[in-house]
Amino acid sequence: MLRVEGMKIRYGAVQAVHGVDLNVGNGELVTLIGANGAGKSSILAGIAGSIPPAEGKVLLKGQPLTGLPADVISRKGIALTPEGRRVFAHLTVGENLHLGGAAFAKGNELRARRDSMLSRFPILAERIDQKAGSLSGGEQQMLAIARSLMSQPDLLLLDEPSLGLAPQTIDKVYELIEDLRKQGLTILLVEQNVELALSVADRGYVVANGRIALSGTASELASSDLVRQAYLAI
Amino acid sequence: MEFVQYLVNILSLGGIYALLALGLAIVFSIVGLINFAHGELMTIAGYLIVLSLSFGLPLPVVLLVACLGAALSAVLMDRIAFRPMRSASVTTLMITSFGVSTICKVFFQNGVSARGRAVALPEWMSGTLTFGGFQIGMVPLTSIALTALALIGLDIFLRKTTLGVAMRAASEDFIMVSLLGLRANTVIATSFAISGLLAGIAAILWISQRGSVDPLMGFTPVLKAFIAAIIGGLGSLRGAVLGGFVLGALEVGSEPFLTTGTAPYRDALVLLAVVLLLLVKPDGLLPAVRGLRS
Ligand SMILES: Nc1ncnc2c1ncn2[C@@H]1O[C@H](COP(=O)(O)OP(=O)(O)OP(=O)(O)O)[C@@H](O)[C@H]1O
Ligand SMILES: [Mg+2]
Repeated sequence: MLRVEGMKIRYGAVQAVHGVDLNVGNGELVTLIGANGAGKSSILAGIAGSIPPAEGKVLLKGQPLTGLPADVISRKGIALTPEGRRVFAHLTVGENLHLGGAAFAKGNELRARRDSMLSRFPILAERIDQKAGSLSGGEQQMLAIARSLMSQPDLLLLDEPSLGLAPQTIDKVYELIEDLRKQGLTILLVEQNVELALSVADRGYVVANGRIALSGTASELASSDLVRQAYLAI
Repeated sequence: MEFVQYLVNILSLGGIYALLALGLAIVFSIVGLINFAHGELMTIAGYLIVLSLSFGLPLPVVLLVACLGAALSAVLMDRIAFRPMRSASVTTLMITSFGVSTICKVFFQNGVSARGRAVALPEWMSGTLTFGGFQIGMVPLTSIALTALALIGLDIFLRKTTLGVAMRAASEDFIMVSLLGLRANTVIATSFAISGLLAGIAAILWISQRGSVDPLMGFTPVLKAFIAAIIGGLGSLRGAVLGGFVLGALEVGSEPFLTTGTAPYRDALVLLAVVLLLLVKPDGLLPAVRGLRS
């Protein structure tokens, strides 16, 4: 589904990602784990095109995306739910959902997508005319994911969906992620909560200082010395 | 009677400032550009009025040509001058817009005429209407009606259409809008088109009050509109409208208190009031939503 080769990302003089290779297969849930500032969000931004990589290739279903702007990449089937959710705070829940699908469907089809999203997320249906900024953190995370799903993407990039949420809310978000996965959606999940990420993922990559330090199946990573010592503190 | 007359004057003058300030604010909120060439859009609309009147076109067509011409010019300005600078800083963009403004002015002065041209108003516009004892001129009345129509139309556009909702979203988080697959350049081009359209309407109202068109006609009203946008909170749309009417009220409302000695200082006194207001409310009356822009 997704293949990244030799991706480098620079912010001015600072290089955040130093040649990363990774791939995500059809229907897989793959996680990128690593410490603060390791470069996880930069890799997702490089794939989605919101930060154009300085070097390297990104291929979706064999098709090169290198150098394309974010809106084109999105229309090719990649949706990013960014770190910090970034819902449009001054727009209503309904307007946020509408914009999520507007580039992909019109009229009745768009309404149908929105209605099916609302039946999947009853909490959003209750708050449809409320400003997104007035939702709780967990509700905003649900809205951000729902907004991404409105495009019916081939690949969903999720950046730290558990960030800043209460434990019960995190459980709900992760139930949703597992549900999506069961329905066959391909997901690349970034998490700092390593235990949580490895509990749902098929495979994972450990990112450190802008490089892939280790990769393997979720159970291999969970039992590896590096992960146990550096991230699971066992 | 006096009061009603003042109110009409405030609404008709403030309305022009509001339309112009709104155009500046829409572009600023999305692109981060303070477009100093906004005044030239008014001038372009003015010359289009002169030109299409000389062809003997009927008035509604003349006005339509002026508005659409200004909107198209705004989109072209973006396409030619600003789009290549998309990632530039706010200051660089501002200086670019100064450049565009200067080029347009020189072109009007040398290519068209350095002197003003009189615009003959249609007969009915010089008349007055009587409302229960009040006599109100047709010019301010049309101004108020057109301003109201433009503001209501824009409000509906921003709330009810996908493009309008995307524009509001883009003023909060432009990159997120493109991550949703929405075309960034379409959103930006629309904001320029709307700002041009509003400048065209403002030009019609301004000319109907002054009766002439000249190469520098856009300068003063747009300077005022810039002040109005700051009063309201730069980048805030509601703020721009409010700021326009507040500035109109300050200018018109100060008239009875001015003597022949102080009258030449009117603009200075009004600006002093604005400075005092900004000391109390540094972000303006209705500050913009803080987006990702610095
Ligand atoms: N816009 C930016 N400008 C300059 N440097 C940046 C920018 N964004 C990220 N960086 C730097 O790039 C490096 C990687 O950042 P990134 O956000 O990708 O890490 P991360 O793994 O997502 O971290 P976290 O877990 O804290 O979200 C960091 O050193 C960071 O300071
Ligand atoms: Mg991050």
